[in-house]
Amino acid sequence: MRVHVHTFANIRDYAPAGKGLAELALAEGATVADLFAALRIPATVEAVTLVNGRRADAATRLNSGDEVTLFPPMEGG
Amino acid sequence: MHGWCGKILRVDLSSGNITSEPLDPQVAHDYIGARGFGIYYLRKEVDPTCDPFGPGNKIIMAAGPLTGTAAPTGARYVVTTKSPLTGAITCSNSGGNFPAELRKSGRDALIIEGVAAKPVYLWIDGGRAELRPADHLWGRTTHATDDALRSETREKAKTAVIGPAGEKRVLFAAIMNDRDRAAGRAGVGAVMGSKNLKAVVVHGEGEVSLADPSAFKAANAKYRDAFKAKTRDNPPPLRTHGTAITVVGTQSHGVFPTRNFQQGTFEGWESIYGETLTKKYLVRAKPCFSCPIACGRVTRIPDGPFQGEGEGPEYETVYSLGSDCGVDDLAALTKANYVCNELGIDTISMGSTVACAMELFEKGFLKESEVGMPVRWGDGQALVTLTRMTGMREGFGNILAEGSLRLATRYGRPELAMVAKGLDFAGYDPRGEQGMGLAYATSPIGGSHMRGDPAYFELLGVPVAADPHTWEDKPPLVAKWQDLFCVIDAAGLCVFFSVRYLVEQNLMVKPLGITELLNAATGAGYTPEEVERIGERIFNAERLFLLAAGFTGKDDALPPRITREPMPAGPAKGMVCRLEEMLLPYYALRGWSHEGVPSEAKLRQLGLL
Repeated sequence: MRVHVHTFANIRDYAPAGKGLAELALAEGATVADLFAALRIPATVEAVTLVNGRRADAATRLNSGDEVTLFPPMEGG
Repeated sequence: MHGWCGKILRVDLSSGNITSEPLDPQVAHDYIGARGFGIYYLRKEVDPTCDPFGPGNKIIMAAGPLTGTAAPTGARYVVTTKSPLTGAITCSNSGGNFPAELRKSGRDALIIEGVAAKPVYLWIDGGRAELRPADHLWGRTTHATDDALRSETREKAKTAVIGPAGEKRVLFAAIMNDRDRAAGRAGVGAVMGSKNLKAVVVHGEGEVSLADPSAFKAANAKYRDAFKAKTRDNPPPLRTHGTAITVVGTQSHGVFPTRNFQQGTFEGWESIYGETLTKKYLVRAKPCFSCPIACGRVTRIPDGPFQGEGEGPEYETVYSLGSDCGVDDLAALTKANYVCNELGIDTISMGSTVACAMELFEKGFLKESEVGMPVRWGDGQALVTLTRMTGMREGFGNILAEGSLRLATRYGRPELAMVAKGLDFAGYDPRGEQGMGLAYATSPIGGSHMRGDPAYFELLGVPVAADPHTWEDKPPLVAKWQDLFCVIDAAGLCVFFSVRYLVEQNLMVKPLGITELLNAATGAGYTPEEVERIGERIFNAERLFLLAAGFTGKDDALPPRITREPMPAGPAKGMVCRLEEMLLPYYALRGWSHEGVPSEAKLRQLGLL
């Protein structure tokens, strides 16, 4: 299956093909943890993870066509 | 005293008398400083029912015991007064270098009262202070005023000034310090203008005396090292891209206010967010005093119709002058930001008021003949022109200068003003961020995000994440964060560092690091629980002023768009803000009645009776 991955700020260092918005192929039934492994995001890197605009965690299962957003925690506003 | 300078300067503009008063040690202990001193003196000395532009209103400019020290982000001060925009209290916060300089001059606070017969400025040079004529500065922009003042006092002096907007009593005029930092919200600049006070200029060379310098140094190093360790490999997004990177959090959650809060996602967001700003216009990042983050933006638009240079935009400005007006032209909104800085206007209320005008225009309630131009969604040129006209109160700008609620009311549609208690919302749509709705509704100054910003945990993952769509769990969190922000503001710190490094990293945010720094600076021997109680005291004291000014629990409200119109699309589609369900539980755990009035027991517990 294929998911869309949006990465921002320093998380972009792990973006597929270095692109802020990219498609990524994953095995059926893959989870957010599998996506992190595929992108080689180290466990030490903190990332807020959204799937289709909703908060997700490592165990969240992904479906084909999902929009995944990854950004670092930030003290903004 | 240590930590506190122990001195307050009282300036009576009517008589011209300037007196130095000792700071009562008990008041210092019980209110910490800055925002705490602001509400203490406002309640003690200002009739809550007074005319905000009358001689009875006062301006309290106060720093905290960590302001001007080496504490990370010890840069802030708070301006407290009765707001002409809302009729409520306002306590507007700013950083830069002016607040630290005030403390280096040996003072914790200024109390400005009365009205000067002619324009004046206050010149504080170390231990001396005098009022000087300012006729020659009246009408000048904030930047021109800063240039002139430093030229006629000392080049190294720091200034807090008003621009033409403050002079002309634009109801959301700001006080600009260090040229481009703003105490922005709810018209503090207009109150200064009503007093004929053009500026406060300060020079100081002293140092804040610390109770335990070695403990202070150790604590400071510990928290700075924690920051360095966390950001060594991953630089803070706020330094790299400024606060406008926050668009990522709001847009992706579907709460990025668009076209006067009609939508929660903006199709043009990539054109205006922080990374685009960095690529196109950033000259350099600029820190406030003693700040390791450096979120400030020095920017330049090299060419085109909006050519210019200055500082900004911040996230809130990108929302208010950008998505909220449907403007995806970063140059146009940045230019409007520059105009706000030079004329001395709050960018949030400016953008929100233009957005309200645009909706009134697009729906046919406001005619082109009345404005003098069409005001369509996305028109960047109209935005810049109307901003300038507002700051100068020219033409239709004279109506915009009264703010969005008066504008919408004038055209028969008050519900189209996106405000709480008359103060425009910040850049978060509460339909997809329930805690923010409760925070806007119960903030003592009205629709501010900086009175316990739930966006940190609801959207941005700081210190840990909470679900933005749930409401049942929000009342205790919002109350806890409101009290915490009182403490951060009272200490003279910036929330950006404090919420990440100076509080326990869970949703209960116990102020351990803040307490440690306060104790090393002042020797007060606070426990974290005492510091939390002081935060609660400040919040309740502000509530008492609000109630005495004529507000009631009925004013803890949000516009029907937020509570009844479901979000039309995006991740928060179908949602409304469940304020009603949150409000009574919130009152109950605050120890307030069903009408939102603090109980006698609560006031006694907080020492407010």
